[in-house]
Amino acid sequence: MRGPTRAGRAACAIGAALMMAGCGGGGGFGGAGVLTSSWGDPQNPLEPADTNEVQGGKVLDMIFRGLKKYDPRTGRAVNMLAERISTPDSRTFTVTVKDGWRFSNGEPVTARSFVDAWNYGASLRNNQRNAYFFGYIDGYDKVHPGSGRQSADTLSGLRVTGPRTFTVRLDQKFAGFPDTLGYAAYAPLPRAFFTDHAGWLRKPIGNGPYQIASYSKGSAMTLKKWNGYPGPDPARNEGVTLLVYTDSNTAYTDVLAGNLDLVDDVPATQLKNVRTDLDGRYINTPAGILQTLAFPYYDPKWNTEGARKVRTGLSMAIDRAQITETIFRRTRTPATDWTSPVLGTAGGFQAGLCGHACDYDPAGARRLIREGGGIPGGRLKITYNADTGSHKQWVDAVCNSINNALGNDKACVGNPVGTFADFRNQIGQHRMSGPFRAGWQMDYPLIQNFLQPLYYTDASSNDGKWSNKRFDRLVDQANAETDRAASVRLFQEAEKVVRDNMAAIPLWYQNGSAGYTARLSHVALNPFSVPVYNEIKVG
Amino acid sequence: MPEQPYEPEGAIAGTGMGGAMDLGASEATTLERGPGAPSGGGPAGRPRSLGSDAWRDLRRNPVFLLSALVILFLVFISLWPSAIAPGSPLSCDLAKSQDGPGPGAPFGYDGQGCNVYTRTVYGARTSVTVGVLATLGVGVLGSVLGGLAGYFGGWPDALLSRTTDIFFAIPVVLGGLVLLSVVTSNTVWPVIGFMVLLGWPQISRIARGSVIGARQHDYVQAARALGASDSRILLRHIAPNAVAPVIVVATIALGTYISLEATLSYLGVGLKPPSVSWGIDISAASPYVRNAPHALLWPSGALAVTVLAFIMLGDAVRDALDPKLR
Repeated sequence: MRGPTRAGRAACAIGAALMMAGCGGGGGFGGAGVLTSSWGDPQNPLEPADTNEVQGGKVLDMIFRGLKKYDPRTGRAVNMLAERISTPDSRTFTVTVKDGWRFSNGEPVTARSFVDAWNYGASLRNNQRNAYFFGYIDGYDKVHPGSGRQSADTLSGLRVTGPRTFTVRLDQKFAGFPDTLGYAAYAPLPRAFFTDHAGWLRKPIGNGPYQIASYSKGSAMTLKKWNGYPGPDPARNEGVTLLVYTDSNTAYTDVLAGNLDLVDDVPATQLKNVRTDLDGRYINTPAGILQTLAFPYYDPKWNTEGARKVRTGLSMAIDRAQITETIFRRTRTPATDWTSPVLGTAGGFQAGLCGHACDYDPAGARRLIREGGGIPGGRLKITYNADTGSHKQWVDAVCNSINNALGNDKACVGNPVGTFADFRNQIGQHRMSGPFRAGWQMDYPLIQNFLQPLYYTDASSNDGKWSNKRFDRLVDQANAETDRAASVRLFQEAEKVVRDNMAAIPLWYQNGSAGYTARLSHVALNPFSVPVYNEIKVG
Repeated sequence: MPEQPYEPEGAIAGTGMGGAMDLGASEATTLERGPGAPSGGGPAGRPRSLGSDAWRDLRRNPVFLLSALVILFLVFISLWPSAIAPGSPLSCDLAKSQDGPGPGAPFGYDGQGCNVYTRTVYGARTSVTVGVLATLGVGVLGSVLGGLAGYFGGWPDALLSRTTDIFFAIPVVLGGLVLLSVVTSNTVWPVIGFMVLLGWPQISRIARGSVIGARQHDYVQAARALGASDSRILLRHIAPNAVAPVIVVATIALGTYISLEATLSYLGVGLKPPSVSWGIDISAASPYVRNAPHALLWPSGALAVTVLAFIMLGDAVRDALDPKLR
């Protein structure tokens, strides 16, 4: 999932100073047992297979439950609707759905609810943003060809074999496949989604602990507890009201003023005061988010042996420890590999894999950049979106760090793009001439998710078009490996190829941070940095 | 060069005596050359014009002296910022982030650990450059177009008047956001170009009215009757007598262009780093206001003082050049 912070906040960003009151929402939304929480407007309609950003994903997490769920504390995939998922060969999987689950309109959740939903998500006709998640399933190339018309409507790899059983056949071995099934794109859908699509979009029906009560775009969404929820994790509050903020600073000050109960993104510039401001009602927990600088390999200047040395040199010119300490107040941790600590060492996280290339070493940086023929184009322009997060602060700090290391005031300069949407468009159109901000929030806690979508040739989020045959081969081998430990080792071998080429410069692991009012207790963030809403108690 | 004796004053002469001298000069060359007597000036021998009157008033006006002093200082630090500010405005040390005043940094450090004093001093250059060049551009374009339209009248005048109406309808900040957001250049030129584009109608309207007023005067009719060409009438007779209001409005506008530059840079569409601008610094410092207010207040203060100085200067110049307002 691309980027932890999203375009939803952009709408008022330019006029933020003028419009704070207008964008801020206000009090009066939370009733007894209902909490209010900061939110950004979702980019797309809330179809599970069409939501690939965090704000929409937040809602899907509350109104849907899939075959698997990621444990809010450990991030491990545990069975939710799945009674069991078995496979003889890591390629054909037999799924049995638990009995007794229903959608909130009373319709039972069956094997067909999943197969129909997945077929819908994969089909080119429906043009869903998460279609590529179904790309491993046999027949995907027929329903979603790279070019031309689709020659089938349904995936040949999906077969309903009983009311509660279906089989999935993949086009290659992928031992980790069951662990990916907690992602929202794999959620089941009720018949109403297909028979009355417009009505469903107005008021989505799911099978999670909450129901959507109302939604006014650009302002607020109210969700209320579904009392008939059959699952093991019912809501412990009466409901959640999500209020749209375009500036996390406004949301933060609203929490201080008591107009808002929960802000799930504390702005970097307030971190210095947050502990005293909120008297301990502040959480700062590791999340599966890695910030990197990606490079445009479609630009021949960056695709040379010399440029490889320059990239490594640039990595060594960034004083990660100083920046995470000063700008982020330790809500980021300097990165030493290309994954995330939330994977755990068994899951593939390996501290220090980056080695000396991620240490701050100005002299080494100068030497490598000189040997590599200097910065391509003479000046480094780091492109980022200025509307979300605290990107300006850290990009400026990274540039200053590089400038100081190289002894040249003008070696590096930040290049802000007004909105996240425009930033993504420019990247999509291959208009980058130098490094650009790349934040990766994991979709599911597997090392595969940190490597394959980003660095595999022509992968969905390989924005810089990096390509390396050895890396591709190692990833294929790792996916085919049935033994989990052996698979992780192969992925780490592939990660070393990324390191040796410095395909992207790892910056820091990002924590999730949140602040809340005294009305709330049991507030926690899951490894995706989303609040675990159903566990929050009000009053 | 028959007009030579009168030119220094005539260049900014108002109405009445100066005009009469112009008329006399263009025709009665031989007559004046003959006796060499003062031909209409005061008994002191040196003719008093509106220009010299204005200068005498200005010298005694404390508002003018104060603002002129500030502006001279700004011009000085724009030309030689390193004379009073140590180091480079682009060299920042994150370890000093948000620190208070220290040696060599009387204004403290901003969020990136840059020296606020150095950056504030270097920011003056941008502001003064943009302000002066935009004013020159607006003044030249506005007075040429407005002057021609006012002098010739007819359909070009109608066309110009409607065009200025259209430009007046464009909100400045909105126009800046739309037009400048597509520009990727790192120089001051797009900002100056934008200000000229949106600023000329104001000057052009003033110049047009002023030229229409001057065109009616007897000395212009006389010059025309004597067969002077349009260009000669415009440059020799009308321009010197119509330029005062343009100077007044342009001087006051200079201050507003400086604040407009800061506004656009604050919004991220004006100047872009590594350019040093007060607007950029104010924007960067505003999120830190709770912990490092100094990083916000110094550039804001410098901006306020600069804009105020130019507006006060404009006021004083108007009082001196436009006696009718007193």
